[in-house]
Amino acid sequence: MAASTTAGGPRPPLWRDVRVLRVVGQIAFAILTVAFLWWIWGNLTDNLQSRNLPTGFDYLSQPGGFIVQYSDVTSSTPIWKVILTGVKNTLLVSAVGIVLATVIGVLIGIGRLSNNWLVRKGSALYVEAVRNIPVLVWIIFFFSALLLPVLPVVEESVTGDLFVANNRAISVAGPTTPSGGAGTLWLLGLVAVLAGIAVAWWRTRRNVRTGQPHHRVIWGLLTAIVVFAIGFVVAGVDVGLDRPAREGFAVTGGFALSTPYLGVLIGLVVYTASHIAEIVRGSILAVPKGQQEAAQALALSGFQRMRYVILPQALRIMVPPTANQYLNLTKNSSLAIAVGYADVMQVVKTVIGNGRPAPQNIAIAMAVYLAFSLTISFFTNLYNRRIQYVGRS
Amino acid sequence: MRTRKWIKLSAIVLAIGLLASACSSDDGPDEDETATEGGTDTGQEGEASGDTLQTVTDRGTLVCGVNGAVPGFSFADEEGNITGFDADYCRAVAAAVLGDPDAVEFRQLTAEQRFTALQGGEIDVLIRNTTWTATRDGSEGATFATTTFYDGQGLMVKADSGVSELADLQGATVCVLSGTTTELNLTTLSEAEGLNLTPQTFEDNETLQSAFEQGQCQAWTSDKSQLAAVKSNFPEEQGGPDGLVILEDTISKEPLGPVTRDGDSQWSQIVDWVVIATIQAEEFGINQGNVEGFSSDSPDVQRFLGQSEGEAFDPGLGFPSTTWTTDVISAVGNYGEIYNRHVGPDTPLGLERGLNNLWTEGGLLYAPPYR
Amino acid sequence: MADTTADRDMAAETAMPGPPDPPERPQVARLTPMEWVRENLFSTWYDTLMTVVFGAGLVFAIYRGLRFLFVTGRWEIIDRNMTNLMVWLWPNRPDLLRPWVALFLMVAAVGLLAGRAVRVAATVAEEAGEPIEELSWRENALRVLGRFWPFVMLLVFIGWYSGSPETWLMELLVVVDLLAFRALALRLPKAVADRTGLIAGLLFLAAFGTLTWFGGHGWDDWGGLMLTIFLAAGGIILSFPLGVGLALGRRSSFPIVRTICVTYIELIRGVPLITLLFMASIMLGFFLPSDFNSPAGVTRALVAIILFTAAYVAEIVRGGLQSVPQGQIEAAQAVGLSPLKQTRLIVLPQALRNVIPALVGQFISLLKDTSLVAIIGQFEILGVARRITNQGDFAGQGLLAETLFFAALVYWVLAYTMSRESQRLEKRLGVGER
Repeated sequence: MAASTTAGGPRPPLWRDVRVLRVVGQIAFAILTVAFLWWIWGNLTDNLQSRNLPTGFDYLSQPGGFIVQYSDVTSSTPIWKVILTGVKNTLLVSAVGIVLATVIGVLIGIGRLSNNWLVRKGSALYVEAVRNIPVLVWIIFFFSALLLPVLPVVEESVTGDLFVANNRAISVAGPTTPSGGAGTLWLLGLVAVLAGIAVAWWRTRRNVRTGQPHHRVIWGLLTAIVVFAIGFVVAGVDVGLDRPAREGFAVTGGFALSTPYLGVLIGLVVYTASHIAEIVRGSILAVPKGQQEAAQALALSGFQRMRYVILPQALRIMVPPTANQYLNLTKNSSLAIAVGYADVMQVVKTVIGNGRPAPQNIAIAMAVYLAFSLTISFFTNLYNRRIQYVGRS
Repeated sequence: MRTRKWIKLSAIVLAIGLLASACSSDDGPDEDETATEGGTDTGQEGEASGDTLQTVTDRGTLVCGVNGAVPGFSFADEEGNITGFDADYCRAVAAAVLGDPDAVEFRQLTAEQRFTALQGGEIDVLIRNTTWTATRDGSEGATFATTTFYDGQGLMVKADSGVSELADLQGATVCVLSGTTTELNLTTLSEAEGLNLTPQTFEDNETLQSAFEQGQCQAWTSDKSQLAAVKSNFPEEQGGPDGLVILEDTISKEPLGPVTRDGDSQWSQIVDWVVIATIQAEEFGINQGNVEGFSSDSPDVQRFLGQSEGEAFDPGLGFPSTTWTTDVISAVGNYGEIYNRHVGPDTPLGLERGLNNLWTEGGLLYAPPYR
Repeated sequence: MADTTADRDMAAETAMPGPPDPPERPQVARLTPMEWVRENLFSTWYDTLMTVVFGAGLVFAIYRGLRFLFVTGRWEIIDRNMTNLMVWLWPNRPDLLRPWVALFLMVAAVGLLAGRAVRVAATVAEEAGEPIEELSWRENALRVLGRFWPFVMLLVFIGWYSGSPETWLMELLVVVDLLAFRALALRLPKAVADRTGLIAGLLFLAAFGTLTWFGGHGWDDWGGLMLTIFLAAGGIILSFPLGVGLALGRRSSFPIVRTICVTYIELIRGVPLITLLFMASIMLGFFLPSDFNSPAGVTRALVAIILFTAAYVAEIVRGGLQSVPQGQIEAAQAVGLSPLKQTRLIVLPQALRNVIPALVGQFISLLKDTSLVAIIGQFEILGVARRITNQGDFAGQGLLAETLFFAALVYWVLAYTMSRESQRLEKRLGVGER
C-alpha cells in the first residue's frame, strides 16, 4: 500500500506521515507481541517453579521408568532415548503410510476414470464412503473392530516357517547379523543406493544428450545390487535369518509388526488414499482432452496413454496437493495414541503422566512434528520445482 | 446502506458479547472469585480460591470431579445420571453443605486433567479414584481427605489361560493405562521378578477393555476394585464373571479418597469430616432408615447428631448446619450402606469388605471421635 | 458477516448431478443391456479380470455390511443410548426442552437460508438467460430425495432404532419446520428477504441462547452430537476474525508484522491438532497467572480449535486476497481511499466472496477433526460412542463396532451432504471461479 502523499508537497505532520506511522505501527505491534510472549513465559516459569517442576531439559537424562513394547527401551533408559524411540516409530508409520497411500490412492484415482463401469463406481463408492469419516474413527475401527477380532490370540498363533501371526503382532523373519556388523551393512546399503541413483542420473543425462533409451530404473537397480553384492562379499559379514518363534505367551525373534502399528497404518492409508485418489482424478481431468485424443490417434494402448501422456502432465498439477496430504498423514499419525502405538506423542504423553513437566514435553513433540513437516515440504518443493522445469524446457 | 451496516455491526457486537457472557456464566467459580486471606499468603501453589464453601453456597451446587468410566464408583447410565460409590460421596458433601444431595454437578475428568481442574477451581472437590501419594500431596497442590477406599493394584487374567500365579505370566503382554503409577509398578514388577512382561498401554479404559477381551493382552493390571468391576460385568458368552480370575498378589497400596485444593483448610476439613461421619455412623449403627429420630443415651451419639445436653453441638468445623450429619446419612446412608449399595458382595462387583471394614471388624476404618 | 455469506452460500434448488462423472464414451446408438455389459464390464481380458476381482470385493463388502446392519449388529445399545449420543449428560436430563427448541430454531434458520438460496439461484439463472425448469411435484420430491437421501437414511435409522413413536413425531416436526421456513423464505417481501442472512444468524444465536441463557447450561456441560456441531461451528466462526487478521498481516508490507504472522501460521500448520489440544488440556494452567481460574474442558478444547483453525482460515483468506485483481487496489488508491478503507471496502469483500467454498471445505474438515477432542476426554459423539460400550448392560460384548458405526454414519451424513451441496452451490452461482 503505497504512501498516499505525493512527493514535493509540504511534509504532513508527524502523526499523519505514513513513513513515520509505518515504523511506529510495526514497533508497537512487535512490542505487543513480545510483551505477550514475555508474560506467558513469566507465568510458565513461575508455575513450573511453584509446582516443583524443572524449568530446563535436564530431566531428559533421567531414566523414564517405563517399558516401550517392541523396542529396547527398559525402565532405566534415559528419557531422551525413549522419546527418540517414539520419533522412530512415528517415522516408521508415516514413511510406510505415505508410500502405501500413494500407491492405493493413484490406483483408486485412475479407477475412478476407468472405462469399466464397476471399477468406476466401486472406486467412487470407496472415495465417498471413506473420506467423509474422521481418520480417528478409521484407526479405532481397524484396530479394535477389525484386527483384534480377526487375528487369533497368542496361544493360537498362526505359525509358519517364517512368521508368527497373532493379534498382538505379526512377526516375520528378518535378516540378522549374529556376529555383529549390522552397521557395516547399513553403510553398504547406503553406498549401494547412492551408486544406483548416480548411475540412473547418468543414464538420464545421456538420454537427454544422445536421445538413446535410458532404461535408468534397470541400470540403477542393477548397479545397486552389484555394488551391494561386491561389498557384502568383501566385508564378509555373517548374515543369518532371524525366525520368530513362540514359547508360551512370548514370541521371540523376527521383526514384529504390532497390531496397534497395523491399525494406525491401515487407518491412515485407507483415509489418505481416498484424498489422494480425488487429487489424482482431478489432476487427470485437468489435462486437456486433446492430449488424450492425440494419444488415442497415435494408437497408444490405454496403459501407454496413461503412462506416457496423461500421468506425466497430471503429475505437475498433482504434486502440491499430494504433498499436503503427506503432511496430513504425518500429522495424523499422532492419533496412534488412541490405540496404544508408541509414537512420539504417546511416549511424550506417558512421560508427562509420570510427573515430568508438560510444557517442555509438548514443546518437544511439536518440534518433532514441525521438523517432519518442514522436511516433507522441502523435498516436495524440490521435486515440484524439478518436474515443473522439465515440463517447461 | 448505512443503517444496514449498523445493524450488521451491532449484531456482531451483540453476538460476541452474548457469547462471552454465556461462556463465563456457566463457570461459576470465575465470577465468585474473591481473593481471601487463606489463598494469598500460602499462595504459591496456584490454588484458585480460598473460600470454596462460600463459592459453593453462593452457586447452590457442588461441582464434583469424578472419573465417570468405572462402574460401581462413578459411571454415567442411559438416563445421564452418574451413580456409584464416588458419586455418592459427592452427594454426601452436597447434602452436608447445601442440604440437598442432588445439588451436584458432576464433571468427568481424565487422569491428567484432574489436578489441573482442581487447582484451577474448575471443580470444588475431586473424588476420582485418586491414590494418595506424597508427591501429589506435596507438589500437585492437593490435600487428601480420609481414605474412602483401600485398594491395591492387582492383575486379572482369563480363567482358561492356565495362569494362576505371577510366575505363569512369563513373557505375557499386559494391558495397562499409560502414564499411570500402575504402569510404573508393572515395570518394576516385571524387572524385579524377571517376568519379561510386555506392557500394552492405552489412553482409555474402553480401548483397553476391548483389547483385553479380544486377547491382545493376557493380563490386565489396575486397581483391584476396578478389575472386580470389569469381572462382574464380563459377558456370559465369554464365560461370565467366572471366566476371569484376579490373581492373589497385590502389587501396591492404593488408598483412594477425596481431594481438595491446598490452602483452604476449612473446606478440606468439611470434606474430611463428611467421610468420617459416614464411617462413624456405621460404627454407631445409624443408617439411612433410622437416622431420623434416632435416639440414644450415649453422649457421643448425641453430639454426633448435633445435640449435647439438650443444646446444639457445633465443633466449629464450618458446616452451615449442626445437623449436617443427619442430612448426610439420610441422603446416602452410612459407609456400609454406600459400600454395599455400589460395590459390596450383593452388587455385580461383589467386593468383600476386607480392609474397608470398621476397625472393630478387622478393617482399617477408624473414625476420630466427634467431640 | 452473517448476511454477506448467507446470501450466496446456500444451495440452489434445481437439481444438477453432483461432481462431474468421468467422461462417458460417446454413445452413438442406444445399447441393449447385453451390449452395455460387454462394453462397460468385459471389453478386454484385463477389463474382465478387473470386473471379476472388483465385483467379488464389492459383493463381499456389501454382503458383510448388510449382514452387520440387519443380522449380526446388536443395536440395542444405540437405541437405549440415543439421548446420550445426542446430548450426553445434558444436566437435568428429564427436561430436554431446551435442546429441542434449539434444534428447531437452527433447522428454521437452515430452512430460511435454503429458501433464500433458491431465490438467488433463480435470479442468477434469469440474468444468465437460462430457462427455469418447471418440475412436477413428484419430480421435485425425487430430486430432493436424490440429494438428501443420506439425511433421510439417518432419520430413518434413528427413528427405527430409538423405537418410540415420539421420535418419529419429532423427526417429522423437524422436517416440517425445515420445509415451512424454506417456503416462508420464498414468499418474503424483497426488503426482508435481502436480510435473510441476518435473520438466520439471529436464529442461530437464539438457538445458542436457548441452551445457555436464563438458567440454561454453558457449553462446558454439553456433549454428544450437540457438542460436535458446536465445536465445528463455533470453531470456524470464532477463528474467522483471527484468521482474517493473520491473512492481512501476512500480506502486509510491514516486515515485522509479516514475519510474526508467517511464523504463527506456519508453526500451527506444521503441528497436529492433537498437540494443541493437549497443550490446552494439560498446559493452559501453566500459561496463565497462578491466581487465574483456568476454564473448563470444553472451553479449553475450543481455544485449541480456534488457534488451530485460524491458521488454516488465514491461508484460505490469503488465497482470496491474492485473487483480487491488482487493478481493484489501484482503482481504490486512485479514488483516494486510505489503505484501511481500501482493504475494508474493496479488497476484503471480494476476497471473502471468493473463499466461501474453501471455507466450507475447512468447516467439513474441522467437523471431522472435532472427533479428536474425544482423546482429551471430552464427550462429543465419538467420545460418547466409546464410553457407552462400557455401560453395565453392554460392557464386554464387543459393541464398539456398532457404536462406532453410528458415530461414523453421523459424521458421514453431515460431511457428505455438506460437500455435495457446496459443490452444487459453487457450480450454480459461479462462486470461487476466477
